[in-house]
Amino acid sequence: MSSISSLVPSRFLTLIAHLVIVITIFWSRENNVRACLPLEYTNEEYNQEDTRLVVALSVTLGLFFVELAGFFSGISMFNNNQSLLSTACHASGAVALLFFLFEQWTCSIYWWIFGFCSVIPALYEMFLLFTVLGLKKKPL
Amino acid sequence: MAFYEVYSHPALIRYKTNVCTRATLFVLMVFCLTYIPPLLVAYKSQGFWLKRSTYEEQPVVQFQYQMLMIGATGTAGEFVAWSTFPDFNRLLGSNLRIPAVSVKEEDSNQDGKSDRLRLQLSVPLKAEEQIYSIQLLLTFSYQLFRMSTVVMQSMAFIQHSSSVPGSQLFINGDLRLHQQIPLPHRGLHAAYNVSVVETGSPFATSYDLASIIRAYQARNLTTYLSCPTPVWIIGRAVNAPFQINAEVRYPLETISYRPGFWEMIKFAWIQYVSVLLVFLWLFNHIQTFVFQNQVLPTVPKPLLKTHTQ
Repeated sequence: MSSISSLVPSRFLTLIAHLVIVITIFWSRENNVRACLPLEYTNEEYNQEDTRLVVALSVTLGLFFVELAGFFSGISMFNNNQSLLSTACHASGAVALLFFLFEQWTCSIYWWIFGFCSVIPALYEMFLLFTVLGLKKKPL
Repeated sequence: MAFYEVYSHPALIRYKTNVCTRATLFVLMVFCLTYIPPLLVAYKSQGFWLKRSTYEEQPVVQFQYQMLMIGATGTAGEFVAWSTFPDFNRLLGSNLRIPAVSVKEEDSNQDGKSDRLRLQLSVPLKAEEQIYSIQLLLTFSYQLFRMSTVVMQSMAFIQHSSSVPGSQLFINGDLRLHQQIPLPHRGLHAAYNVSVVETGSPFATSYDLASIIRAYQARNLTTYLSCPTPVWIIGRAVNAPFQINAEVRYPLETISYRPGFWEMIKFAWIQYVSVLLVFLWLFNHIQTFVFQNQVLPTVPKPLLKTHTQ
């Protein structure tokens, strides 16, 4: 299909962009954690919020690993549905996380971004992995 | 013969599908992603709804020829005074000094609105009396017409005191409007069309400067004299009267108001559509790619009509 020349690279690029931003937030999460807390906070509260954000980011990275595994192994690389879904979700995720990082949004918003932009493509990816590896269907 | 493109027009390709297909879902998602994010972008970048704006107008100000003047003549509380209110003058007794008053309102640019007030008061004094401080209250009628119609009675209060006795007080300033809240964009605003000084009451409390100013400052719209420094000229000749020279200008005012519904909607629409254009262009390209390359299966209507046998 002629769409391969554009669809696969765009999926790859949006995946990597989302991944890069998640890793950037991982390394500079101080400002975001401080934005979740009230003006007066104790060290315990800070550590609690920090742990929560670390957990969220780690789960995101795990889901990324699942999706990249499916993509690079070729199982979902040429699947049109997954390509479209993954491109759309990761593109909006990358833009939303860009705002999250620069505008210092609160931590609760991260869970929403995570839910819509990381969980949905990873779930479909897992479904595809199951159908190909488990039910022995053809990848495309 | 040079060949060049003389005209071109786009040919439309229609893609058809059933209601319950991935293509419908895709188009619905794209519709949401096209029309909702511009609203979010325009709103989150502040200033979407215009809450306050300004306009310029020269007000129609007229001096109401009601004045109140009090001058302190000693450190033990002696004073002389005069006003245009007969009840107040009656209460003064021997402290009343009736000045010679000269008032002139000028319209320098001939636009029908007065631009300047020149006021001269010559207060006669006894030979041994000296003036140490002056309190002067002038009343005006103030009208605005461009947006909401404002009709009110306002005042300018001037006070100056010095430790040396003077012969002349020279005041030169602008009559400025002070707003606590923005004005509405239309309607009649005549709540303050009552006299600043309560005439008709024989009691002394209605001429108490503190209570007059307290009631006046409680208003949402007031005028004040913006005067950098009055000039206190000393050295009064023995039989000369005390002169008060006041020049009050009525300048062009910048008035803040709350915009009406249509003005707010106009500016919000401009902001929304300018961001929407970018999103429309982007998602048009994405949709063209998806449907042209059959990423999601649809039935394109053929360009050329096929003849059925």
